[in-house]
Amino acid sequence: MVRLFQFWRRSPRWPLHPGKPLSQRVLAQTWRRFWALLLAILCTIGVNAGLVAHLAPAGIAQELPKTLTMGTSADYKPFEFHDTSSGEDKIVGYDIDIANRIATDLGFELKIQDMDFNGLIPALQSGRVDFVMAGMTPTPERKKSIDFSEIYYSAQNTIVAPKDSNLTTLEALKGKTVGAQLGSLQQEEAEKIPGAQITTRNRVPDLVQELKAGRIEAAIIEDTIAKPYVSIYPDLQFTVVPNKEGGYAIAFPKGSKLVPAFNRAIAGMKQDGTLDRLAKTWFEDLGKPAESGFQRIAPRIPYILGGILVTLGFTFAALIFGLILAIGLAIFKISAIKPLRWFANAYTSIFRGIPLIVTLTLIYFATPQLTGYKIEAFQAGVITFALNSAAYVSETLRAGIMAVDKGQREAAIALGVPYQMMMQDIILPQAFKNILPALVNEFINLLKDSALVSTIGAADLLRRATIVGAETYLYFEPLVIVAIVYYLMVVGLTIAASVLERRLHKSA
Amino acid sequence: MLRIENLHKSFGPLKVLDGITAQIEQGEVVAILGPSGSGKSTFLRCMNLLEHPTQGRIFFNDVDITDPKCNILKVRANIVMVFQHFNLFPHMTVLQNVTYAPTKVKGLSKDNAKAIGMDLLTKVGLAEKANVYPSRLSGGQKQRVAIARALAMQPAMVLFDEPTSALDPEMVKEVLEVMQDLARSGMTMAIVTHEMGFAREVANRIFFLNEGKLAENTTPQAFFANPQCDRAKIFLEKMLK
Repeated sequence: MVRLFQFWRRSPRWPLHPGKPLSQRVLAQTWRRFWALLLAILCTIGVNAGLVAHLAPAGIAQELPKTLTMGTSADYKPFEFHDTSSGEDKIVGYDIDIANRIATDLGFELKIQDMDFNGLIPALQSGRVDFVMAGMTPTPERKKSIDFSEIYYSAQNTIVAPKDSNLTTLEALKGKTVGAQLGSLQQEEAEKIPGAQITTRNRVPDLVQELKAGRIEAAIIEDTIAKPYVSIYPDLQFTVVPNKEGGYAIAFPKGSKLVPAFNRAIAGMKQDGTLDRLAKTWFEDLGKPAESGFQRIAPRIPYILGGILVTLGFTFAALIFGLILAIGLAIFKISAIKPLRWFANAYTSIFRGIPLIVTLTLIYFATPQLTGYKIEAFQAGVITFALNSAAYVSETLRAGIMAVDKGQREAAIALGVPYQMMMQDIILPQAFKNILPALVNEFINLLKDSALVSTIGAADLLRRATIVGAETYLYFEPLVIVAIVYYLMVVGLTIAASVLERRLHKSA
Repeated sequence: MLRIENLHKSFGPLKVLDGITAQIEQGEVVAILGPSGSGKSTFLRCMNLLEHPTQGRIFFNDVDITDPKCNILKVRANIVMVFQHFNLFPHMTVLQNVTYAPTKVKGLSKDNAKAIGMDLLTKVGLAEKANVYPSRLSGGQKQRVAIARALAMQPAMVLFDEPTSALDPEMVKEVLEVMQDLARSGMTMAIVTHEMGFAREVANRIFFLNEGKLAENTTPQAFFANPQCDRAKIFLEKMLK
């Protein structure tokens, strides 16, 4: 489902590009002719470029690095998606096959990095990836910040609506509630409909659910993406919007020297029929009715459950780093030195005042641009959650320390115990006992909030559920599975915490 | 052993100690008496710098401990304190309470500290409670553990801050007996107390404080038989009634 949604975003923008509608044969033929012409032109350019490259001593081919990293957003079946049917996780699809072929042609090693579609352009700009293939349409807006290759695939928009609704033309959508994927070309398309009320969702599967729920009357979705939904949900229909053209191209950082070489490779694939062959492989069975929901999910459950380890590892790491940081901050807060108190209070104020997802996105995308270090999603997540958790826990811990009887401090001082030892052996153990219930709450919150890291592509429980959802076009089933898993983890934690609390109680 | 010169202590505008000069000799047991609010506890807490004097100096074995260059931690390890509310560490067993500071502060080996600790617990009659947590003890038992904990540092002097005031009456005796034994062993002690009988029998010097001043500095015999100042006369009348 995810992929479907993303199709919309990526789908063609009509004034710009020739499109080959998969659903409309007649149109397709027209476009094929257009393509042939374009191919011929491109080939000529390509051959010339090749000659130039051949003649020039410092040809582009020689300058290619050995390894290139490709960014993609693998939730856009059939262009790029996670294949988990074998229980293992592989990124496959039309775009991936093309990328591999280009890698062979140009002689570089291909590394694939999966992330949110919204993160692709920042990733290009920050140098995190060398190029992007993710069903991305070269819009004038995008061209301002990145470069594009020639179009390698053309696509069209469709209107998806309930069967028998008569909503088959853009004119018919006047004054209706129309959905589109946020930031997609379909959104721009929808905004051109006079009087239509536009509703956006982050992902295509969400749009389809809104349509089925009746909150929107129609949705504009890219054709290849819309097709399987209509076959799965017989109460929906889709109509291709005529004459709206567009397509997908490979994206590069502004000024990338890779563009000519890639264009040559694309031209070569058009010429020798590779692109047509790949299209046949990936797009042909899209309309076929699928097996029942659970049959499709069952083999992928081990993959989803694999996310438990990621989620737990992530939560534990964040908790431990957060605690260490919180202890420092709490000690600052009770310190007699004013600047330390100011610092700790400002810290808490800042991190409590910024939504987690904002901090997370900032750290993940800004770190590479500021420091050059390409921080991993997992690391960015742990850092964000540790920083945030420290703000809350330090406040709790400060209260816990204050609640320790003043006499404890005096007794330690009167025995000549140095400050650090006193905090470590006398005060903090008692403070932690005071705040144990609050800490368990914090841990449970962390566990649930950790689902946010799925937005930057870390393969935690939620991310895996959406991946499987996108692959199988199932919306609720994977989510219900992870909801149950999260709940069981929280219940387990709560029980473990109350056992611990009882034990501590016995000892004192 | 301890020489106090012109000691002043104020909390904000409140003047608590107003120029006290006194001396405590090795092996002396000093009872510090006085009406409430006279500054007894503050005076005692200045002796191990739990309170820092606003003015004046304190010499311990001729070393000025009010000098900022002096290592206060070392002084405190030598002049230990027993509190009114015991202040045992609740997350440690009785034996751990006693051995903690000797191992951590003085660097004694665990076995050594344990041997000393058990010996002291035996002396205060609580050896069988060694592995119990303080929450299981009565007030009197807690205070005896607190005394053992203080003595485990092998100090030169012990300060007692109203050690029996928080106890049920029937438990006062067991604590006073321990203190009496300690006094007989020759330990230098300073005791803020309201136990007049104990002060008269065990102490060999009385400091009577009134309004932050050392109003009387004399022997128990002289003080109880013939107090010099009027405030002491009223005080004794009330206390001995």
